[in-house]
Amino acid sequence: MMLDAFQLPFVQRALVEVLVLAIAAGALGTWIVLRGLAFYAHGVAAAAFPGLVLADGLGFSATLGAFGVALLFALLVGRLSARGRSGHDSLTALVLVGALAIGIILASDVFHSGSDVEQLLFGSLLAIGPADIRLAIVVALLALLATVVLGRRWLAVGFDATAARALGVRSPAPDAVLLVLVALAAVATLSAVGALLSTALLVVPAATVRLGTTRMTSWQLGTGALAAVECAAGLWLSCETNAPPGATIAVIAGAVFVLAALVRVGVPLLRRPAGGEAGAGSAVAAPTFGSGG
Amino acid sequence: MIALASVLHTLGDPWRDGIMQRALLEVVLLGLVGGALGCWIVLAELSYGAESLAHGMFPGLVLAALTGLPLLLGGAAGILVAALAVALAGRVPGIGRDNAVAVVVTTLFGLGVLLALSPDSPPGIEGLLFGDVLGTSAGDLVAGAALVAVVLATLWALHWRLLAVGFDRLSAGSLGASPLLADAVLLVLLALAVLVAVQGLGNLLVVAVLVAPSAAARLLARRLLPMMATAVAIAIVAGVAGLYLSYYVQVAAGAAIAGFMVLAYALARLAAAAAALRGAAAVASPAG
Amino acid sequence: MSVLVAARGLAVGYGAAPVLTGVDFTLSGGERIGVLGPNGGGKTTLFRALLGELRPLAGELTVAARCGTVPQTERSRLDFPVSALDVALMGTIAGRPWWKRPGRTERRRARAALGRVGLEELAERTFGELSGGQRQRVLVARALVQDAGIVLLDEPFTGLDSASAERLEALLGELAGEGRGVVIATHDVEQARAWDRVLCLNRRQVAFGAPGQTLTREVLAATYGGAIVTLPDGHGGEALALLPPHHCDHEHGA
Repeated sequence: MMLDAFQLPFVQRALVEVLVLAIAAGALGTWIVLRGLAFYAHGVAAAAFPGLVLADGLGFSATLGAFGVALLFALLVGRLSARGRSGHDSLTALVLVGALAIGIILASDVFHSGSDVEQLLFGSLLAIGPADIRLAIVVALLALLATVVLGRRWLAVGFDATAARALGVRSPAPDAVLLVLVALAAVATLSAVGALLSTALLVVPAATVRLGTTRMTSWQLGTGALAAVECAAGLWLSCETNAPPGATIAVIAGAVFVLAALVRVGVPLLRRPAGGEAGAGSAVAAPTFGSGG
Repeated sequence: MIALASVLHTLGDPWRDGIMQRALLEVVLLGLVGGALGCWIVLAELSYGAESLAHGMFPGLVLAALTGLPLLLGGAAGILVAALAVALAGRVPGIGRDNAVAVVVTTLFGLGVLLALSPDSPPGIEGLLFGDVLGTSAGDLVAGAALVAVVLATLWALHWRLLAVGFDRLSAGSLGASPLLADAVLLVLLALAVLVAVQGLGNLLVVAVLVAPSAAARLLARRLLPMMATAVAIAIVAGVAGLYLSYYVQVAAGAAIAGFMVLAYALARLAAAAAALRGAAAVASPAG
Repeated sequence: MSVLVAARGLAVGYGAAPVLTGVDFTLSGGERIGVLGPNGGGKTTLFRALLGELRPLAGELTVAARCGTVPQTERSRLDFPVSALDVALMGTIAGRPWWKRPGRTERRRARAALGRVGLEELAERTFGELSGGQRQRVLVARALVQDAGIVLLDEPFTGLDSASAERLEALLGELAGEGRGVVIATHDVEQARAWDRVLCLNRRQVAFGAPGQTLTREVLAATYGGAIVTLPDGHGGEALALLPPHHCDHEHGA
C-alpha cells in the first residue's frame, strides 16, 4: 500500500501538525506576501535557531527557547524599521547571520549537539511531539483571529507604508501584531520544516496562489488548501526517501510554484500574443478584500 | 619581559602551522573583497540579494562535493542557476520581487539539503553550510586571489559610475552612467565575492562578511573610500580574531569569524549612538 | 541666439500609448522656459524625452546641446556618503573613458563650478547635510561641470525659503545670460510670469508663448482642469491661484 507510511503514529502526528500549520500559513502567508515580509519571515525563523540549540542543550522547552529568541528578533527589527531608517534589510541579514553563528558555536562547541543540528535546521518528523501540535493549534487560532480583527488594517497598509501613512493609517500596533504573529508562526513551523526552510510553508504556497487570484478571501483559502496538500505530499515523500521533511516540502512547493508561474505567464501569452507586461517585478497591486470589490 | 614574550608567543604560535597560515591568507582575501564590495551592497540595499545568491547556490556546492569537483566550479554553476532563477522569478507578474526571490531561494536551498542529506550522500554537509576556513588549499587561495583582484579592479575603475547611480538612479543616465549596467556589474561582482567567501564561511555565513563590516563602517565613516578602508580593516581584524578563538578555544572557525563581524557591527552601532548623544548634548551646528 | 531644442508635433509615452501629445515649441539659447501643468500632466515625461530616455512616438524632437538635470533632491539619497564636491564631480563621468577616474583637472573644474554657485567653502560638506537651496545649487554646479547647454530643473523651488529661492532665481538668470537654455518645471504660475516663455502641459500641449499673452484664465483652466480660484491680490486687482496639487502622480509610475 502506497500510503502505509501514514499508519505510523509519528507520521500521523506530523500530518496533524502540518495540516494545522497549513491553516496558519493560509492566514498569515498571504499577509507575509502582501506586505513583503518574506525576508523577515526567513530571518525570524533562522534567529530562533540558537534558541533551539540552547533549549536542546539545557533541556528546557524548545518552544520557549525558540520563541524567546524569535520575539527578540521581531522586537529588534520592528523597532528599527519603525524608525524608518534605510538599511533595514542589511539589519535583517546581520541579525540572521549573527544568530546562526551563535547557534553553530553553541551546537558544535558548547553542547556538542551533533546530528541534532541538522534536525534543527531542516526539520524532522521524529521531533514532532504533542507540545508542537498544541503550539501549532494556538498559532493557527491566533492567526485566524488576527486576520478577522486586523485584516482590513493590514490590507490598508498594503505594500506601501508611506501611502498608508498618507491615508491616515498611523498606528503601528497592527503592524507590531503582524510581526509578532509571523515570529510565532515561524517558531511553530520549526519542528516540521526547520529553521532554514520555514519560508517553504510561510511564503511559497501564498506566493503560488497569488498567481491565480486577486481576492483576499480566496487567496487565503487557496493558500491554506495548497499548503496542506504540499505538506502532506512532502511528508509522504520524506517517509519514503528518508530525507528531511523541510527540504522535501520546499522542493515540492517550489515545483508547484514553477508550474503555476508557467501557466500564469503562458496562458495570457496564448490568449493575446501582444500582451503588455505591466508592473512585472515591481510592487503588487493590493488585492480586494472580500467579494465584489 | 617574560610576560611580553609569552604574549608574543600566544599571538605568534597559531601561525607556525601551514593550515593556519593558509586560513590567515583566506581571511585577508575575504576581508578585502567583503569590505570593499560590501559597501556597495549595503548602500544599494542588496543584502537580501547577497543572502539569496549564497543560499541559492547550495545545490551547486552539494553536487560538487558529491562528485568530487572543485567547490569553486560547483559554486559558480550554482550561482549562475540561482541568479537566472531569481531573474526569471522576478518577471513573474503579480507577486513582487522579494517574494519571488524567497520562493526561488527556498526551493533551491531545499533541493541542496535534499541532495546533501539523502542517505546515499557522504556526511559532511556542515562544511558546506558553515564553511571550512581551515581546509583552505593553496589552489583555493590562488583562485580566490584572482577573483578578488578582478572585483577590486572593477570597483576601482567603475567607482564614479556606481556612485552616480547609487546617489540618484533616475538622473544617472543623463550623466552618462547607466543604471542597468551598474546593477549588472554589482550583481556579477556579488556573485564572484560570494564564490570567494563561501570557502571560508560556508553557505549560511557568507552574508556576514558582505554586510556586517560595511554596515559597521557606514556608521563610522562619512565618505565612501574611508568607509571601504574601514570595512576592510574591520573584516580582517574580525577574521583574525575568529581564527585565534578557534585555535585556542576550538570553536568552529567560520562561525567565530561571522560572530566577530556581527559583534563589530553592534559595537559600531553603540559607538554611533554614544556619539549622537554627545552631539545632542553639544550645540548642533545647523547647515545654513 | 541659436535654437537648442525644437519640438514639432511631438508625442511621447512609455509604451505604445502616448502620455503627452502635440508638443510644439522651441528653446533658444538665453531663454528660460517655465513648464506648467498638474502632476501627471507630462512634465517629467517631457524631461525624459529631452534627455533622450524616451523616443518620440510621433513628430520630431531635435536637441542640439547637452542636457544637464537638476532633479528634486528629495529623490536622491540624502544619506549617501558623498560630499558636495563628489556630486559636482559626477558631472565629469560622460567626458571620460570608463576606466579613468577624475584627475586634478576635473577636480579644479568641479571646484570652480561650486564657486560659481557660491558654495566653494562647502565643497567638502556631506551633500545630505546641506540645506535644500544649497543642494539645488550643487546640482546646478554639476550641470555646469557637465558643460550642459540646456539645464532642466524639476520643481527647483519646492520647499525653499524665500532667500534661497531668490538666490536660485538669480542663478537661473545668470545661466540664461551665458546663452544656456533653462527649462524649469514648476507649480508656481506667478513665478513663471517672470521668465521668457511658458509651456503649459496637460497630457497635451495647451499653450506655448510669452507668459504675458499666454497665461490667460482659459489657458490655466485647460492646464489645471479647472482647479483654479481667483484671489484678490491686495492691489485692487486679482491674481490666479492654484488649489493644492492632487496626489495622483502618474509620471514616476512606469
